[in-house]
Amino acid sequence: MSYLRETELLADFAPFASFREHFGFVPKLFRAQTLLPRAIEAEAGIAATVLLKEQALTRIQKEYILLKVAAVQQSTYCVTSHYQMLRMLGRPENHLDQIMIDHRQADISAADAALLDFALKLAKHGPWISGKDIVNLRNHGFSDEAVLEAILATGLANFLCTLSVGLGPAPDFEPVKIPSGEMTQQRDNLSLSHGESSGPYLRVVEQSAASFPPFAFFQEQFGFIPNIFRAQTLRLDVIEAEAGVIRAVLLTEDLLSRVQKESILLVISAANLNTYCVAVHCEMLRALGVSVEDSDQIAINHHQTDLSEADKSLLDFALKLAVRPAEFRLDDVDLLERQGFSEEKILEAVVMTALTNFLNTLQMGLGTTPDFTPKRVFTTKDLYPFVEESRLTPDAPSMDPDATLVARVQNGETDAFEDLVRRHSRRIFGTLVGLVGNPEDARDAVQDVFMKAFEHINRFQGRSKFSTWLVSIAINTGTELLRQRKPLDSLDDFEDEDGFRPRQIQSWAENPEELCTAAQRSDLVREAVLRLPEKYRVAVLLRDINQLSTEEAAAALGLGVPAVKARLLRGRLMLRESLTPHFQRAESPRTENEKRSPNAQLR
Amino acid sequence: MLSCAEFLAEFGDYLEDAANPELRSRLEDHLHECKVCQVIVDSTRKTIRIVTDSDSFTLSADTVEPIVAQVMARIRDKKR
Repeated sequence: MSYLRETELLADFAPFASFREHFGFVPKLFRAQTLLPRAIEAEAGIAATVLLKEQALTRIQKEYILLKVAAVQQSTYCVTSHYQMLRMLGRPENHLDQIMIDHRQADISAADAALLDFALKLAKHGPWISGKDIVNLRNHGFSDEAVLEAILATGLANFLCTLSVGLGPAPDFEPVKIPSGEMTQQRDNLSLSHGESSGPYLRVVEQSAASFPPFAFFQEQFGFIPNIFRAQTLRLDVIEAEAGVIRAVLLTEDLLSRVQKESILLVISAANLNTYCVAVHCEMLRALGVSVEDSDQIAINHHQTDLSEADKSLLDFALKLAVRPAEFRLDDVDLLERQGFSEEKILEAVVMTALTNFLNTLQMGLGTTPDFTPKRVFTTKDLYPFVEESRLTPDAPSMDPDATLVARVQNGETDAFEDLVRRHSRRIFGTLVGLVGNPEDARDAVQDVFMKAFEHINRFQGRSKFSTWLVSIAINTGTELLRQRKPLDSLDDFEDEDGFRPRQIQSWAENPEELCTAAQRSDLVREAVLRLPEKYRVAVLLRDINQLSTEEAAAALGLGVPAVKARLLRGRLMLRESLTPHFQRAESPRTENEKRSPNAQLR
Repeated sequence: MLSCAEFLAEFGDYLEDAANPELRSRLEDHLHECKVCQVIVDSTRKTIRIVTDSDSFTLSADTVEPIVAQVMARIRDKKR
């Protein structure tokens, strides 16, 4: 059983017959959708075209992608399904276990390992995908057709995972345990440098509405042919299947209205920072009579709109399922029922959410440019609400003391935000003063940080502590301020990477704290910290002043742990340089010895 | 044996007692022989202690409530 009622379909229902033929059974994921046969038909169409047809990638390569993405998305249902498929395709269990734990250590080619790296990055870190990732795959010998199939398989994997979380079917086989090290391994191995996005990345074959019926269909329905479909012309059969899904799921109006569905697409796309999809669905809503201002507000925070309470709940439901799947429960389905949504409508909302994740994934992989001038452009610079969200920190999320308050704010209770401001303003202020240098600017910036946090709170997925997320917003806000103030300075390149060597080699007093008052120490430290180049200063502020763990600091900065460690060490050594004259041992005999000793210089 | 430059590039984890045993032993071999690096390790540890304990960037408690009031006023203003 799953979360929703199931009904009997006719014995000759074509998709089920096809599942029996290809898999030997009807997966429970599809049985869980019998209230909406048109959705099952459309999904079966896309699954068959993407997964079963062997063209540029083999079935096994695609199943590997589906297995890895399901593991990283923590979907036991999907992991179990694809594990079983691969077993049926002759892959031994120990090999599959190794693929799940760490595919680089598994017995697969370097090219296949690169393919899985790409799929994982796209599935979990879409905004970081850039043309470089595509070039890397080409360098491993993959054709554009193969890359397109990898993007499609990843999109399909995200689609199926979202369905499985939203519908809650029991696995079709003995459940396969997802290795717990999976997320950690992914964080350590992925390169998350911010890529320049200048797509579309893949070769296209020009098609016109006159010669290709799906394009005629898009032209008729939307008034234009979306670039996301134009970018997939290497696989016309897939575009046809996608048009089938659009027709069956998005354009039908017997259950949820088209505006409700477009709003689902919009809020999730905004949470996924997908400029393309936000622009397209704002435009769709405009065509449906929703003003640009209203749709923009839906994208940013639907709780601050005139939508009905029921519609706000619908969007909460979709957003949680799409971007915070680990928190999604049967209770969320019940909540929507209590708001008056029928089980059919809830099922349609789940399918719409899955479709949105599918389209967002495709867009990020394809790098398509928006069909309309976007009102709101999300770039990797805007990633602060997501930076730590895509990197798990070890102490998240159950230990977060702010979790309850955050959930209340996310559910529309504005007043609960007050306690969050009260709890965190001192720490945020400290970070900002350390960054921008003067308390007046910092005081204004503190307000901006909390305003941004409030506006984006629905994007906070609770995978790291709320306080870490807040600090990451503070760093971005402070950095912006610095850039405005000193637009000509390249703050990041202030210090020559290799040019630093300790010069002060005098011993420090045994108890340096005794050499001055607390107030003097406070002034000395403030001055020394403010003299540090920005990138070292930020590391010291987060780690030593704010007492974040190295992992949390890395998450807040969107950097790898090794990079933070290197900057922190440099920052600490530079502080040591500045502070040494104040804390060195008075007339240290050892210093004299050192001066005479051949050891008294760096070797 | 490690040079001072190598030591200084690697001793971050050592400062936090997080170096793996192999690295730790290499660092300690160097440290045993090098007085300058002994001084640098000792003074860096003290630097961290002083920086961590200082309240150079702490907002005084009485300024918290005005910030809370200003932020909440801006939020409620925007909602209207």
